[in-house]
Amino acid sequence: MNGLSALWSIFGPVLALLARIMMAFSFAFLVPLTWGWVLDLDYLRAIWGVAFGLTFGSGLLLLWLTRNQYRELLPRDGFLLVVLVWLVLTAYAAIPLYWLVPDISWSHAYFEAMSALTATGATALSGLGDLPISVNVWRAFLQYIGGLGIMLLVVAVLPLLGLGGMQLYKAETPGPMKDTKFTPRIAETARGLWLVYFGFSLACLLAYRWAGMSWSDAFIHMCSTMSLGGFSSQDASIGHWDSAAVEWVAIVFMTLAGISFLRYFLVLRSLTLGPIVNDHEIRSYFLVLAGSVLLVTALLTAHQVEADFWTALRSSAFHVLSLATTTGYSATDYGQWPVFIGVFLLFLGCFVSCAGSTGGGIKMVRMVLLIKQARRELVRIVHPRVVNPITLGGQRIASATLTTVLGFMLIYGAATLGLSFVLLLTGLDIVTAFSAVVATLNNIGPGLGLVGPAHNFGWLSGFQLGLLSFAMLLGRLELLTVLVLFTRHYWRR
Amino acid sequence: MPLLRVASVLGWIVLAFGLAFLVPIAVSLGLADGAAWAFVGPMALVLLLGAALVGLGRTVWRPYRASELNVRDGILLVGLVWTLLPALAALPFMLYFAGVGQPLNFSRAYFEAMSGLTTTGATVLVGLDHLPGAINIWRGFLQWLGGMGILVLAVAILPLVGAGGGSLLRAETSGPLKESRLTPRIATTAKGLWSIYAALSLACLLAYRAGGMSWFDAWMHMFTTMSLGGLSNYDASFGHFDSAVLEWMAIAFMLLASGSFALYFVAVLKRDPLRIWRNPEWRGTQSLMLGSGLAVAAVLVWQGGAAADWETLRRALFNLVSIASTTGYSSEDYTLWPAFAPWLMLFLSAMATSAGSTGAGIKMARLLILLKLAQRELTRILHPRAVTPITVGGAVVDQTAIQSVLAFMLIYGATVLGLTLLLLLGGMDFDTAFSAVLASINNMGPGLGVVGPAGNYAGLSDFKLWVCSLAMLLGRLEILAFLVLFTRAFWRK
Repeated sequence: MNGLSALWSIFGPVLALLARIMMAFSFAFLVPLTWGWVLDLDYLRAIWGVAFGLTFGSGLLLLWLTRNQYRELLPRDGFLLVVLVWLVLTAYAAIPLYWLVPDISWSHAYFEAMSALTATGATALSGLGDLPISVNVWRAFLQYIGGLGIMLLVVAVLPLLGLGGMQLYKAETPGPMKDTKFTPRIAETARGLWLVYFGFSLACLLAYRWAGMSWSDAFIHMCSTMSLGGFSSQDASIGHWDSAAVEWVAIVFMTLAGISFLRYFLVLRSLTLGPIVNDHEIRSYFLVLAGSVLLVTALLTAHQVEADFWTALRSSAFHVLSLATTTGYSATDYGQWPVFIGVFLLFLGCFVSCAGSTGGGIKMVRMVLLIKQARRELVRIVHPRVVNPITLGGQRIASATLTTVLGFMLIYGAATLGLSFVLLLTGLDIVTAFSAVVATLNNIGPGLGLVGPAHNFGWLSGFQLGLLSFAMLLGRLELLTVLVLFTRHYWRR
Repeated sequence: MPLLRVASVLGWIVLAFGLAFLVPIAVSLGLADGAAWAFVGPMALVLLLGAALVGLGRTVWRPYRASELNVRDGILLVGLVWTLLPALAALPFMLYFAGVGQPLNFSRAYFEAMSGLTTTGATVLVGLDHLPGAINIWRGFLQWLGGMGILVLAVAILPLVGAGGGSLLRAETSGPLKESRLTPRIATTAKGLWSIYAALSLACLLAYRAGGMSWFDAWMHMFTTMSLGGLSNYDASFGHFDSAVLEWMAIAFMLLASGSFALYFVAVLKRDPLRIWRNPEWRGTQSLMLGSGLAVAAVLVWQGGAAADWETLRRALFNLVSIASTTGYSSEDYTLWPAFAPWLMLFLSAMATSAGSTGAGIKMARLLILLKLAQRELTRILHPRAVTPITVGGAVVDQTAIQSVLAFMLIYGATVLGLTLLLLLGGMDFDTAFSAVLASINNMGPGLGVVGPAGNYAGLSDFKLWVCSLAMLLGRLEILAFLVLFTRAFWRK
């Protein structure tokens, strides 16, 4: 009994906040409801309405149950709250999918919803083109919310979190150096980030419409482009349109979304381009992208995969951008290309996106730090006593920060290996198992082998889908936020 | 110019290496297999080259005494030795195969010799059973010699190259090892380590003979067991003997050889055998291999349809210990086992052996530090300001060493990825490419797929063989010790 009440004292206040967030989240169902109202069959309205009511009602019930528990959050409560929010909201988001998509199991629906909210873009569904349009809108809209971050949205619109705001922001936002205070009030920053996001989204929506998509498709692809999620309303993904204009629009906006939104925010605030032009991370980002596009173009031309140089260039740019930024669109089955390219693209997805963007993976800034550390090690062999601190953009990186960054990559590597081995145990082949883990842990989407661009995740077993859903969550919350809940230390107070 | 400074020492090493050719010549004469001629010419050449280097180095280029060598010279020397000696050792292979009308080009002969000296155990030769004894014993003896070289390398050079693995070793071994000048360290420790190595080798030889091998087979397999090399004079490797007794013996000696010889040395010196048992690294190595052996046996019973008996346990243990200890024998084609097992074995080879053994990879010392670090990082996100030092076996590991270990580990990962991509670029399937790189960089031998235990490296193109040779060299010199030769800082005064 003592143990239970201790547990309740940990969970109570967290659940009290979760209840409020659920109620807020339930309004998201109004978006597919609107689509359903206008474009879909009658019975769909009811389902979206019920989903809305169910979520709102559950939130209300939980709010009543925890009515005496509300208190200011402790910093450590943030981890539990963020993980619970992602787990629970995903479950509610999966309900209408479970009802509306024919012949899917609960694990498929949950996987799909998790893939949506974490902006991964791996799908367990096929026959996307035949689904009601509101289902596709829902999938894409979930990516749109999850892309920049649920908690970020919460912090921006609900001033209820008080001191916990910064903590929540840290627990969810990718990137190693979160202590940087941009504006005195976290809520203001959060609102600024969402405004920038909306601005780009509007431009993206119009661009897709201009390139020839219908309004619905333009909205769906705007959502999954800006969030670097990669869901499409067609099985053939962007390839369905077979249009150079559409691909170039996607290329441009994926490139833009792969950069930290904080940088755009700073540019807007200071009205100078400095924050972007002088940023080491962004420079490396463009350098790696340009180099990779050229390399892949050369290979495509050499292997005569595409008809001429310009087609090869477009195809290469599109797929490099799509996978490197962890979006996961495809225009052709690049699984048929030389093996090197598929593996290389997946590898890019692990690190290219910038910290603070909507992309996944370990982020470019960590990669830059790793390379600097490697160089320092080599110098240290020759001059063991030399002290040469690592700097980034003129700023000295504290030794502890560096250890944390390197330690993060270690845990990330261990998680990749560990999850792959579990999948191997369930009987998958190595290419499928390994690439499925890399594609989900980095929130990329399509892998290689049997989960490659021409296939989907639908044939996997419930256990495998559950494991990969977990991988997506791990990746989206950058591992530590989730893993800390599994330490004894966390629960001992 | 450091190159000239080390010339005379290099000359002495080459001279000594020339004497090693006496072993196959003696064996050839004893067995009357008619292959002695292939060794006589190269031996003369090697002796001449050595004498020339010594002579020129001492008189013309730079009168310099070995006792004055510093760390930088040591690193250069090691790099030179490990690239030059394989080229010299390759000569008899080229001569012999040209003589019997199946010419072996330099790339292949160099690969075979590199695989020998780095104690890898990958082979491009087929029909081993029909090769003359002298050729086979040369392959085995190269591995044994390589093992001797590694022991010196491990105490003299690698600890200075940092990467932390040596820090434990230095704490363990006392007195002369902490000497910072190079030559006294080598002189005092090499003798001790070599006598332990020789004593264990003798025990292994007699055990194999008593277990039923012929004297020739016993010598051959003793050479390749103690050095954790894994070459055999049979295409079927250890499976040729089909003997439970021999396999248990091999398991025992491979496990012994995976421990640190420096640790054994100190234990003998202090007459304190329990010291071995108390050493965390030794325990880590042994328990990881035995525990994983049990796991593989369980998988074989559960998924592979094997009976739950001693034979299954032996099969699992033999192949696992062989691969994880970077030896590379096989008693059957374990790639037919459930995919989990061979991949687990392959990954263990990257981390299971102790620093100061004849194995390769990341080494258990580093793994222990990494594990503790991962734990600490998890508690640190709860208590960002807490200062919790990392200790291994009671000794505190300092921040710089931790960063070195992390950097090493990540550079190791990056190297594996980079070389895999290089092999893929040459046109290869993912399984083969990835496993060949792992098998080479961990100095283990057989990979999976085409290069698996039932196949060999003969089908690879010259380019791919060079990539694998490079991987073996990098793995042997713990990457950094070789990479540093290509930095500007190394060559600057």
